Amino acid sequence: MAGKKLKLNAIATTGIIIIAFYLVGIIVSFFWVPFDPVDMDTDHILEGPSFATGHIMGTDEFGRDVFSRIMAGSSISLVISLAGTALGGILGTLLGIWAGYLGGAWDHWMMRFADILFSFPSLLLSIFIMAILGEHTLNVVIAIAIVYIPQFARISRGAILQIKQEEFVRAARSNGATSHYILYKHLLPNIVVPLIVQVSLSLSVAILLESSLSFLGLGVQPPAPSWGNMLSGARKVMAIAPWTAVYPGLAIVFLVLGFNLLGDGLRDILDPRLRNVG
Amino acid sequence: MGRYIAKRLLSLIPVLFGVSLIVFFMVRLIPGSALEMYMGTQVEATPQQMLELKRIFGEDKPVPVLYVEWIGQILRGDFGFSLRTGRPVLPDIISRLPLSLELTVLSLLISLLIGLPQGIMSSLGKNPFLDLINRIIGLLGLSLPQFWLASLMVLAFSGFAGWIPMGNYIPFSENPLKNLQMLLLPATAIGIGFSAVIMRYTRNSMLEVLQMDYIRTAKAKGLKKNVVIWRHALKNAILPVITVVGFNAGGLLSGSIVIEEVFALPGMGRLALYAIYQRDYPLIQAIVLIIATIFVLVNLLTDIVYALVDPRIRLDEGGK
Amino acid sequence: MKKSWVVAAIAAVLCVVSAAGAFAAPAAKTLTIGVDQEAVGIDPHIVTAFSSMRRVDLMYNRLVRLDEHLAVVPDLAQSWDIPDNLTYVFHLRKGVKFHNGRELTAEDVQYSLNRILDPKTASPGRSYVSLITSIDVVDKYTVKLHLSAPLASLLDGLTSDNCSIVAKEVVEANGNLQKVDGGTGPFMLKEWVADNSMTLVKNPNYFEKGVPYLDKVIFRVIPEQTSLLAGVKSGDLDLATINDGAIIRQAQKESKVTVMSKPGLNMRIFSFNTARKPFDDVRVRQAVASVLNRSEILAIAEFGMGKPTGPLPVSATQWALPVSKLPFPKPDTAKAKKLLAEAGYPNGFSFKITCSSTYEGGLAVAQVAQNELKQIGIDAQLEVVEWGVYIDKWVKRDYDTMIELRGGSGEPDRFLYRTFYSTGGVNNFLFKNADVDKLLDQGRTQTKPAERKATYDQLQKLLVEQAPCVFLYCPNENQVVSKKVQGFKIVGNGSLFYVTYTKVSR
Repeated sequence: MAGKKLKLNAIATTGIIIIAFYLVGIIVSFFWVPFDPVDMDTDHILEGPSFATGHIMGTDEFGRDVFSRIMAGSSISLVISLAGTALGGILGTLLGIWAGYLGGAWDHWMMRFADILFSFPSLLLSIFIMAILGEHTLNVVIAIAIVYIPQFARISRGAILQIKQEEFVRAARSNGATSHYILYKHLLPNIVVPLIVQVSLSLSVAILLESSLSFLGLGVQPPAPSWGNMLSGARKVMAIAPWTAVYPGLAIVFLVLGFNLLGDGLRDILDPRLRNVG
Repeated sequence: MGRYIAKRLLSLIPVLFGVSLIVFFMVRLIPGSALEMYMGTQVEATPQQMLELKRIFGEDKPVPVLYVEWIGQILRGDFGFSLRTGRPVLPDIISRLPLSLELTVLSLLISLLIGLPQGIMSSLGKNPFLDLINRIIGLLGLSLPQFWLASLMVLAFSGFAGWIPMGNYIPFSENPLKNLQMLLLPATAIGIGFSAVIMRYTRNSMLEVLQMDYIRTAKAKGLKKNVVIWRHALKNAILPVITVVGFNAGGLLSGSIVIEEVFALPGMGRLALYAIYQRDYPLIQAIVLIIATIFVLVNLLTDIVYALVDPRIRLDEGGK
Repeated sequence: MKKSWVVAAIAAVLCVVSAAGAFAAPAAKTLTIGVDQEAVGIDPHIVTAFSSMRRVDLMYNRLVRLDEHLAVVPDLAQSWDIPDNLTYVFHLRKGVKFHNGRELTAEDVQYSLNRILDPKTASPGRSYVSLITSIDVVDKYTVKLHLSAPLASLLDGLTSDNCSIVAKEVVEANGNLQKVDGGTGPFMLKEWVADNSMTLVKNPNYFEKGVPYLDKVIFRVIPEQTSLLAGVKSGDLDLATINDGAIIRQAQKESKVTVMSKPGLNMRIFSFNTARKPFDDVRVRQAVASVLNRSEILAIAEFGMGKPTGPLPVSATQWALPVSKLPFPKPDTAKAKKLLAEAGYPNGFSFKITCSSTYEGGLAVAQVAQNELKQIGIDAQLEVVEWGVYIDKWVKRDYDTMIELRGGSGEPDRFLYRTFYSTGGVNNFLFKNADVDKLLDQGRTQTKPAERKATYDQLQKLLVEQAPCVFLYCPNENQVVSKKVQGFKIVGNGSLFYVTYTKVSR
């Protein structure tokens, strides 16, 4: 079994390596980028990648360096996804814990509310929210958070329900422990595991969600670089300048892959019983 | 069981009510209106004309009154008329269902075709290194942004084959070959992504089941390995996969917005997107309501199937 | 024996494979047009969107129309007299039949114009003909219009799709013409599958004998412009309207298609909200006008497909002054800095440019403009909004500056009056200038060409100098056609009228 655990660890490790690579890139990008990401070099529009000009991933339709934009965009995309997931995660978890612990009518109505949110397909819901709030970067965070609330609520509630039945909780209660004490001492540690897995997987989806929104013109707005809006701009020129679409796309793919690997690996290691649907 | 179904169906009502409320008011929070977009920036109208236009576009009464009117209409089966085209909304939505359904079914089939074998092979764990590679590839499928994949596919396909599916939907019953021609590419774009989910669930369920006692017992008894795998393990592992398919089918139905955009398919997702862009309130409201209903019903159906197939599952309140 | 089986099998496979390659080619006399927007409705008196106009182009006629040189030529009216500048008499063609078989008479013209004037119709075409006080049926083929004041742009206004002549009985039977065909045009509506395709068939009784050559015209709605190009390449489409510069650039490299391109009547402008600081100061506006580099913006945002312009579309050569004859012909950074300093902003200032990622919303133009303005220390923030929000802000005049695409016209009054008159219907710049108003009123009523030209020359210079907006360029009207299409011509306002004379060889 130990051998198996090690093998499974390989998945998570690969994920961590990939993510670390991006983190390094992000940190570097705060201090240095090869070119200004929004600077237009109008003499070098839609040029292919070449070491000679320094544009190692080519330039886009405004003469901006693709590589620098990818670097700058990585911090934007990652921060938005992290913030959105964190916000949604915290709110959703709180909601779920409350619902699960309090039970009864509270539980019923809170979960109905989560159901309502859940019955909107996530992209459609976030498009809706962005349309109302307006296309600002901050609003993308809010949109992602709202989309995630039901999922986190479901998980934490499920975990709470399971644990509520357990002997030791009943025992603690009969000993006079207050609700809060039980909550924090016993319940919380048992949610952490499924939550961690969910967070990691959610991050991957959040990045995809943000880039889909930006792609549709509803997320991060140009000239600020986001991988999604880079792909949107590249759509038209893709046939004559494929690098404008290939590189930002690859950037998305590998970061998302990193989080997926991490989440999957963690899931294997921490709790092989875990198989929450959806 | 009957009671469970009845309870769940009843709880549908407040959910749908909530959805209707939220969508009706939310949609009017979006700046801009169908009337404004009709006028655009080129047209001038006298105040008299504006009054008339406001009446035509349904902007002449306070919002809560409009909501009550709308609910009344819905309950009578009248979903209203599109602000943009003036056509009744329901037939247009329904006419798009076959396409979205077929796209969903095709994508699911493709994802099962790719994901199931992958998941099974990977769970057998013959070569751990291959397994790792397999899993990474599987997860890769999940990591591809749909629109990127779709755009690249269009590019590659049109480059090599010289043609791409154009947005002309021909029902399967009319011409199966043309129909598949249209939908195969977009379905593949969606299916690749979803196959990773299938693979992961198949793998996990297979692993779990393979470890179980009775499998070990069967092995110990000397039953041929293949028999063991195919008969026992597969049967039990399919269950979570069905669940996943069920829960995601609703999402697949309308979540293919971007794919529909790129391939110019007249599906539900694009209808919803354009309705929002055009502030076509009656259309948005109707679509959201219908999609939400489908979503919830599919979830319920999946839960029921799940419970029927595996009686060990307890169907307590909120049994997910 | 075996060999022949193999050959047959291979042949069969090849047949299947090649059949899978393309849609079954429609009959040889069908033209399939690819457009990226569905028409909302097809009632000529009601529709505003370009997409709808393109269908109306083929199903209806007007009294007069524009030819490919943007000159007013006869359509339903064979000839006309203008006895005094308040009266117009039109002599209609004889034997013109509506698609339902009935002959068109002066009464139909009277009915149509009255319907346009009726406030209940809320017709966008009303402003073109609002000065008409009465329409008289003199005899079966003669119509007389009376105006309350001289209107030099009347004929041009009557060429609009919004002023088409329609059949009364069809309107009354259906409430409106949004979904039905009440016209006399070269093609008739056969079938309309919403958001998918519209099929028109030849009008066998069209008044011009021998045309149209085509039996069928099919409009296919394909929102992606790359897909439109792919469609023409593969033969699924014969004609596609593509306005994206990058795709046109790509199309020009393709040997299988022909690109037809001509500066159109649409105009790209950088609009100021003259009621907001600092744009209430004309010197600030002039500074911006001195810095924006039309050629560079054109090169980047439209891949060079267009022509720099002044207040009148540059292709309307009868009236438009070329950029070289107007103030601020070339960027002059030094002058711009001086103007800014005079106005009290030596260190520049910051403001917002409202734009949208749609074609009309000019996101690309905004990005280039932002870059250029940096040179004189002006910090422009892009406010990129969704199209519906863009319109909302436009309506509410809630913006600092905006990138716009305006529909110009070959007739100066039709465009300039509503746009720049202090109470003009689409004067969203909140621009009020007494001299401009005076010249506009003057030009509208003058009927002698030489006098009018002088007025409008003066007006154009004044408008550029006062700069309620910066006039940038006219993007090209583009059509991508397959090599099999012959006889098609582009009209600067995007009209598809020449499909009437188009043939497709196969």
